[in-house]
Amino acid sequence: MSAQPLLKLEHINTFYGAVQAHFDLNLHVNAGEIVCLLGGNASGKSTTMKVILGLVKPHSGHVYFDGQDITGQPTPRIVRLGIASVPEARRIFPAMTVRENLLMGAYTRSDRAGIQHDLAEVLELFPRLRERLHHPGGVLSGGEQQMLAMARALMSRPRLICMDEPTMGLSPLFVERVLELIARINRQRGVTIFMVEQNAAMALQIAHRGYVLRNGRIVLEDQAQALLHNPAVREAYLGGADVL
Amino acid sequence: MLDAPLSFWLDQTINGVVIGNIYALIAIGLALIFGVANLVNFAHGSVFMIGAYAGWVCITRLHWPLPAAMLTAATLSAIVGVLIERIGLRGLYDKARIAPLLATIGISFTLDQIVQLIFTATPQGFPAPLPEQRIPLGTVSIGLLDVLIAAITVGAALALFGFLRFTRLGWALRAAAQDREAAQQMGVDTDRANMLAFAVASALGGVAGVLVGMYFNSVYTSMSFQATIKGFVANLLGGLGSVSGAILGGILLGLIESYGVALFGASYRNLFSYAMLVLVLVFLPQGLFGARRALPPEPLTGTFVPSGGRVRLPRAMMALTIGAALVPLLSDNPYLLQTLSSAFLFALLALSVTLVTGMAGQTSLGQAGFMAIGGYASALLVMRVGVPFELALLLAALSAALVGSLLMTPVFRLRSQYMAIATLGVGEIVNQVILNWDAVTGGALGLSRIPPPTFLGAPIIAPRDVYWATLVLLVAGGLLAWRMAEAHLGRTWRAIRDDEVAARAFGVNLARYKWLAFLASGFIAGLSGAFTAHTYSYINHETFAVNTSILALTMVILGGMGNLAGAVLGALALTAAPELLRAVADYRYLLYGLVLVLLIRFRPQGLLGTL
Repeated sequence: MSAQPLLKLEHINTFYGAVQAHFDLNLHVNAGEIVCLLGGNASGKSTTMKVILGLVKPHSGHVYFDGQDITGQPTPRIVRLGIASVPEARRIFPAMTVRENLLMGAYTRSDRAGIQHDLAEVLELFPRLRERLHHPGGVLSGGEQQMLAMARALMSRPRLICMDEPTMGLSPLFVERVLELIARINRQRGVTIFMVEQNAAMALQIAHRGYVLRNGRIVLEDQAQALLHNPAVREAYLGGADVL
Repeated sequence: MLDAPLSFWLDQTINGVVIGNIYALIAIGLALIFGVANLVNFAHGSVFMIGAYAGWVCITRLHWPLPAAMLTAATLSAIVGVLIERIGLRGLYDKARIAPLLATIGISFTLDQIVQLIFTATPQGFPAPLPEQRIPLGTVSIGLLDVLIAAITVGAALALFGFLRFTRLGWALRAAAQDREAAQQMGVDTDRANMLAFAVASALGGVAGVLVGMYFNSVYTSMSFQATIKGFVANLLGGLGSVSGAILGGILLGLIESYGVALFGASYRNLFSYAMLVLVLVFLPQGLFGARRALPPEPLTGTFVPSGGRVRLPRAMMALTIGAALVPLLSDNPYLLQTLSSAFLFALLALSVTLVTGMAGQTSLGQAGFMAIGGYASALLVMRVGVPFELALLLAALSAALVGSLLMTPVFRLRSQYMAIATLGVGEIVNQVILNWDAVTGGALGLSRIPPPTFLGAPIIAPRDVYWATLVLLVAGGLLAWRMAEAHLGRTWRAIRDDEVAARAFGVNLARYKWLAFLASGFIAGLSGAFTAHTYSYINHETFAVNTSILALTMVILGGMGNLAGAVLGALALTAAPELLRAVADYRYLLYGLVLVLLIRFRPQGLLGTL
């Protein structure tokens, strides 16, 4: 493990109006890792993603990417540094074709040949998308859209991909495939992955480490396997009921 | 007319297509801006008008060749467009859509007045610098200008299509239009995308302005608002935000107008666009060609009502009323009294806006239509039927309430900015019907020699009497509005304003309460219109026009949405103050526009706060 984490959040406090969403949040993601942020509804998971991507400015604290302070920078600039996003609910451009969606993922790049090469490569990785290359993104099924969102994120050649609930709304069969693909992207391409998930049991199987967020505070931090067998986590997230 | 020779209809068709091409050019710009910013840009007509004047200066004053003039007009318009986005709209994108819409109306007022101050309101002759050659085509012929207009529109449309479809920047624009936040996460600078959309759209608008100037051989400042409406209707016909739809919609609108004018007469021209505005918005919101989707969803809260500290002053209100009643005893300056009387009548109109917009959350830009119904009804009852004024006033207010609220019924299902635009359409339809119903309304001649108002048979003519009469009306209107605001009715209205879906879930019959809001507001606006008609002694279809509606809404925003005292204060501030400070009277609309823009930007809760 390198001395310096790729992504680091330090003493983050975030507010929505008068409501505080984060309380002194600290977490880090090392290069090459899959780190999973677990938490129930309204625990502040998605807000964490938004803070990293610059969509929400924290009231105090710092976000570092590769040692550089990116707190409160405009989203496009953060993206250009090498952070890609698979947003919550996928956010495919519905009236653009699959191909155009993928090329939008490479918007920050200008190396035409490289883009074409990567396009061919992600289509290799997601063969389903090749069949639907000229269909509008809006007509794809939920699972296909998830594939497209991940492929689109890869197109920017990111160092880090932030995924907000990548398995949300997918059938159990697709959940497994999506997680397998995430693990593969991480393993084969060395892309670091930070993901937010409600589906803890599945997510922890591919993750290296995990954090548990409750009411805006990190309450637990451990290796993924340890979390998987931690009775407190089991009770809260693996028992099926979303009580926290 | 129907038995006219075929060549007559062919000529009408060519006229319609040519005008339609210009509408299309305006509509493409509106569609682009709507697509990217989800905003109906009411300042687009002003940009168009600025382009027309720029072209006119280049050709008639500087004697430049046509292409240079076109290029200058396009560049200047693009710059103005970018400034509009930068100064007026950035920072408003996360607000309810009605906020930037109102801001563009304010910008439009400001720009129109600036141009008017530079070039005066007199139309300027604009000879087309093209040979008067006509190309024969069977039994009809086409002018060079017609060909040029068609060529520019088609060329611009194709270029825009290619840009959006095949360039990286074009993709960025489309992505930003479809999902702003997702586009940012792809690295798109959406602020720059907006700026680009405004620049391109405005350049096209400016070119359209030059073409219209040459086509009608004149440029004038009031071409601005009509251009916005025509462009919007064309855009609406083709499906909001659709560039290809805008072209079809423009040509269709041009043809409808051209045939309609041939069949019914020139005074019907605008009636068609307003009627289509309301009908398409209400019944065909996806446009004629767009089968895909309806209007983009609007936030649940129907209007632009920011929270803000409310200033209470019931005691002060009574004291102020008594103080106001004493003014004529202290000063009999007729100018002062007349100014205040007219301010009181405006305050009454502002109260009517407060009820429907401030309390019930239905942004209305059609209140002047209620005034017009009231004014005409009262004048006609007194002059044609011989009803005494006191009774006519009441009957006129009732007619305004009943007829007006009935006309507004179709728009109840619309929200936010679409509601505002549709009510604007309804208000203007009233005026267009007045213009064309010659037998009853006197048509374009208007009604003259309307007898003055009376009280128990005695005429109210002296400034002091008029002052007291208008004050009494205002207090009566204010008490009526206050009673409703404090009652169950007012609470229900506010519930609808704050969250329509929740209100409906609690069993509120939305249509009924919206109707009641328009009924009450129509009554009060009708009172104002009726009294105004008798004090003016002359009214026509332009007396109660859309500017009056916009002004009334500005007053309400200035005073604080839903705040009755605020409405009166806003009316006094915007009508009496500029009048009394003689120096700014000439710049009145500049002031209105700036006030509207600045309020929406910096103090949306108004002076006295939202209630």
